[in-house]
Amino acid sequence: MLARSSCLRAAGAVRNGAVTVSKRAASTSTTEAAASPFRLNLAGGAATAVAIGSAAWYYHLYGPTAHAMTPAEEGLHPTKYPWVHSEYLKTFDHQALRRGFQVYREVCSSCHSLSRIPYRSLVGVTHTVDEAKAMAEENEYDSEPNDQGDIEKRPGKLSDYLPSPYTNDEAARAANNGALPPDLSLIVKARHGGCDYIFSLLTGYPEEPPAGAVVQEGLNFNPYFPGTGIAMARVLYNELVEYEDGTPATTSQMAKDVTEFLNWAAEPEMDQRKKMGMKVIIIGSALFALSVWVKRYKWSPIKTRKIAYNPPQMGGKH
Amino acid sequence: MGFFTDLWESATPWSSAEAEAVSGGTGTDSTPAQGGEAGEGEAADKNASTSDNKDGDDDAEEPEEEEEEEELEDPQEKFQEECKESKQCSGPKHHFDECVERVTGASESEDKKGPSEDCVEEFFHLAHCANECAAPKLWAALK
Ligand code: HEC
Repeated sequence: MLARSSCLRAAGAVRNGAVTVSKRAASTSTTEAAASPFRLNLAGGAATAVAIGSAAWYYHLYGPTAHAMTPAEEGLHPTKYPWVHSEYLKTFDHQALRRGFQVYREVCSSCHSLSRIPYRSLVGVTHTVDEAKAMAEENEYDSEPNDQGDIEKRPGKLSDYLPSPYTNDEAARAANNGALPPDLSLIVKARHGGCDYIFSLLTGYPEEPPAGAVVQEGLNFNPYFPGTGIAMARVLYNELVEYEDGTPATTSQMAKDVTEFLNWAAEPEMDQRKKMGMKVIIIGSALFALSVWVKRYKWSPIKTRKIAYNPPQMGGKH
Repeated sequence: MGFFTDLWESATPWSSAEAEAVSGGTGTDSTPAQGGEAGEGEAADKNASTSDNKDGDDDAEEPEEEEEEEELEDPQEKFQEECKESKQCSGPKHHFDECVERVTGASESEDKKGPSEDCVEEFFHLAHCANECAAPKLWAALK
């Protein structure tokens, strides 16, 4: 109540104010316009000039954006490849994953960690339980403190994570000419272009850099790496690994396999998610179909009713 | 390939594939995760893997460990070279070659006039063209 009345009063005040203002404006224009139309035009012109000028100044300061990137700094955009896992209804190619893990283990793992992947997650994806256990046991891990409080080494278990090649980032840099080989667990998601980028990067080292290109000491020319100078030299060469399934180990085959494996590492739940998506579609469509039939059933008395109007018999003749 | 064939393949119960025991090695040819035969990358695995070493002699027909002694050729290299020479990429190739000639010529004749130039952009355009052209062929050839 209180609020409403004060509101009303305020509105009244505004109305009164508006009236007085318009009155005063009317009075000034009548007196001064008669006195000097030139000064009024000058004022209008100056105000317009200031408005336009400040907008122009603003545009001069902030309007044009600077494009300082050269194509070389941006890096060559990777070609799109038709990865099997990017199809809606395809799972990972698990044989490729197995081969890719082999490439990671035999080639990349000497420089790159894969620290978010435990051995147990390989079970049923790339390896059997026994194979995964055997691989885990090849490494040593710290055990629980014993009765004396000493920490002994024990062979790895399924629950252990893949070992890292270096104890810390500083050691990794020191061993690699100052460049840190990034952890590969999430690398596919961490780079623009994802799988296409990783594959292109691994296979993209030309025999020699194009004429005139400057490659810094200790770097290698790779068109896909932003800036084109990468500290990682070409690592994949034909027949570097020997695949147990007899697949010819060409550079591009190994790159494809390891990229698919790294994509799995970054998104191991993809198969499950696609399966869940199918379930959602099935249940959703079944419920929708059901609802259509139920609606038909419920509406049938209404849709089929007939309204008849029988005018009352007028008594007698007109 | 198509969305609907995928849908059909994954919905039909008889197209499900069992993962085979992998420890044996060479045995499993078809990819277990892809029941059908019309998959994108694995079109006739066996044929693809043998056609990789087409350049080898007859004895390189079987992809067996011992007989891989022949120099293995990377299909990617082959397709990219072919694509660079193809009509599709003649434009970028022409510009790249011209640039290389100009830049190497300029660096050899010692009286450098203009700012030093490089052929990185020309290289990018050519590589982009060659890759676009080679990508589908490569994926058909790889397993
Ligand atoms: C000799 C050590 C070494 C090996 C072996 C090696 N890398 Fe690297 N890698 C490096 C270094 C060093 C860098 C950092 C490069 C830089 O920042 O310039 C790097 C960077 C990368 C990057 C990140 C590039 C970016 O965009 O930042 C990826 C991806 C990568 N490596 C993948 C691999 C894969 C896959 C393998 C195995 C096939 C592999 N590397 C093998 C040393 C290595």
